[in-house]
Amino acid sequence: MSSTPAEPLVRLRNIKKTFFRGKEPVRVLDGLSLDVPAGSFEALMGPSGSGKSTLLNLIAGLDRPTEGEVVVGNKTISAMSESELARWRADNVGFVFQSFNLIPVMTAEQNVELPLLLTKLSKSERLQRARTALKVVGLADRVDHYPRQLSGGQEQRVAIARAIVNDPRIIIADEPTGDLDRQSADDVLTLLGRLNTELGKTIFMVTHDPAAAERATVRRRLNKGVLE
Amino acid sequence: MTLTRFAALNLFRNPLRTALTVAGVAVAVVAFLLLRTVIWSYNVAADSAVPDRLVTRHKVTFIMPLPKRYIDDVRATPGVKDATWANWWGGREPNKPTEFFATLAVDPESYFRVIDEMVVEPADLQAWKEDRQGAIVGDMLAQKFGWKKGDTVRLESQFFDGLYEFRISGIYTATRRTVDRMTFLFHWAYLNEKAPVEARETIGWIMSRTNGKPTEIGRTVDAMFDVKDVQTISQDEATFNRSFLAGFSAILSAINVVSIVILLIMMMILGNTVAMGVRERTAEYGVLRAIGFLPKHIVTLVVGEAAVLGVGGGVAGLLVAYPVVQLGIGRFVEENLAGFFPYFRISPENAVAGFVLALVLAALASVIPAWQAGRLSVVDSLRRVA
Repeated sequence: MSSTPAEPLVRLRNIKKTFFRGKEPVRVLDGLSLDVPAGSFEALMGPSGSGKSTLLNLIAGLDRPTEGEVVVGNKTISAMSESELARWRADNVGFVFQSFNLIPVMTAEQNVELPLLLTKLSKSERLQRARTALKVVGLADRVDHYPRQLSGGQEQRVAIARAIVNDPRIIIADEPTGDLDRQSADDVLTLLGRLNTELGKTIFMVTHDPAAAERATVRRRLNKGVLE
Repeated sequence: MTLTRFAALNLFRNPLRTALTVAGVAVAVVAFLLLRTVIWSYNVAADSAVPDRLVTRHKVTFIMPLPKRYIDDVRATPGVKDATWANWWGGREPNKPTEFFATLAVDPESYFRVIDEMVVEPADLQAWKEDRQGAIVGDMLAQKFGWKKGDTVRLESQFFDGLYEFRISGIYTATRRTVDRMTFLFHWAYLNEKAPVEARETIGWIMSRTNGKPTEIGRTVDAMFDVKDVQTISQDEATFNRSFLAGFSAILSAINVVSIVILLIMMMILGNTVAMGVRERTAEYGVLRAIGFLPKHIVTLVVGEAAVLGVGGGVAGLLVAYPVVQLGIGRFVEENLAGFFPYFRISPENAVAGFVLALVLAALASVIPAWQAGRLSVVDSLRRVA
């Protein structure tokens, strides 16, 4: 990590995002600006339709703003092409989704290895990294298990291992505890906290769960496309 | 893990669907191979004709006879090295009237000199020449009816009254697999003496060995008979074979079309299966795109999966088709339709074509679903996750 906690890793400036419902424009984000410091653990809350997922997608490089600038590190990702964005995401972003999204026909190890297929690492290096990531999330003994053989909490931890295996600068978590029971949710949040404090990962999490938001060091609220 | 392995693993998501799809492709490949084998066998019979051999028949149709004296004129034609003749007798075993085989009344002295792809033991050939009621039969025909050398055989004709009695003088074999081994050959003289007066001293067609220019010599022969009471048409053997089987050519064209249609149906079934898989995995492709996979990777996954299905179906089709054709249908056809298909087997080129087409058409069938999967917006795909 080259950035210090005080430096913003993510900078959004005057972001506007408009979608079209048929021919009717719907402005979801209206002139939003935001700095996310490197090494922070931020939670974003807000009612449905407030623009949380849209904001998350912009920070993750999954979408581009209608107007404004998104800079992550020293890269203006809002100006990148689709393929440049894809390569940037592979190098810089780890994703954790609400419903885990593991590939059911792959073992835990193969699922974690997946992002590394895009690198030039050898097979043995890929497996070594995948096992290390699984060890970090406490699943070293589950490498050969398929998703159906794991509990929901374990599946989400495999997904987190997949998110960190390429050592990204930022982890994007979209309702990471939404499909979990309280105990599993606590375990996952503890794990995310450790990734933040011990490995210095910047985490940006969208959640509806106040208990999950409490684990973050910064809590933001979005309402009708405006940060409160 | 590689993208190819990933594509192959995807086939295990729904094993029943995969198995049914592979079975569907396999059935299509078997049907394709069967139909192509019909066409190939027909063509190989015609194409394996001896290049220097000339066939002379009645100008109107080959079922009308020629005067016996024409054989001497043909033999005297410059460029003709040897000549023989045959009459179609339409024989059948009275107890098995539906079992078809060719019965030809021929000249024992010259027949095996001109038709030298049929081979008889010299001693048996000599014995046949000396026995007016002798017969030489193909080894497959002998095997089918259980005939042995020395056996007496009684046959009836579709064209002549009464039973004809023959003694099996020998069994002929063939130097090539495409030669009909189901023919019954007997003395033309025996037929000539028993036939009604009006049918005597006539022959069906003349076969000549030439100096290598059968078409040219054929023109000479036809010109020679143009001024006589019965005109002829002479053709090299391949052309003659095709004209003999011409009535079948429309069916072959239809078979050709059907074989292509079968593959197109297979392609559509595969395309539908692949499209279903893509639709079910839209969210997953969204995740892959999110973590950095490019549209080309998604396309590779979809096409790769379809190609694996094609390979599986192609291999399964070959594994089923070979025993079915080589040990079952092929043998039946060779025994019962030897005149049309003396050698009914899957040719290597048809086997390769069946396999390659299964693979290529499977990949082609996946192009549209793959293209659709590749151009999905990451955000839209991920929206289907929650």
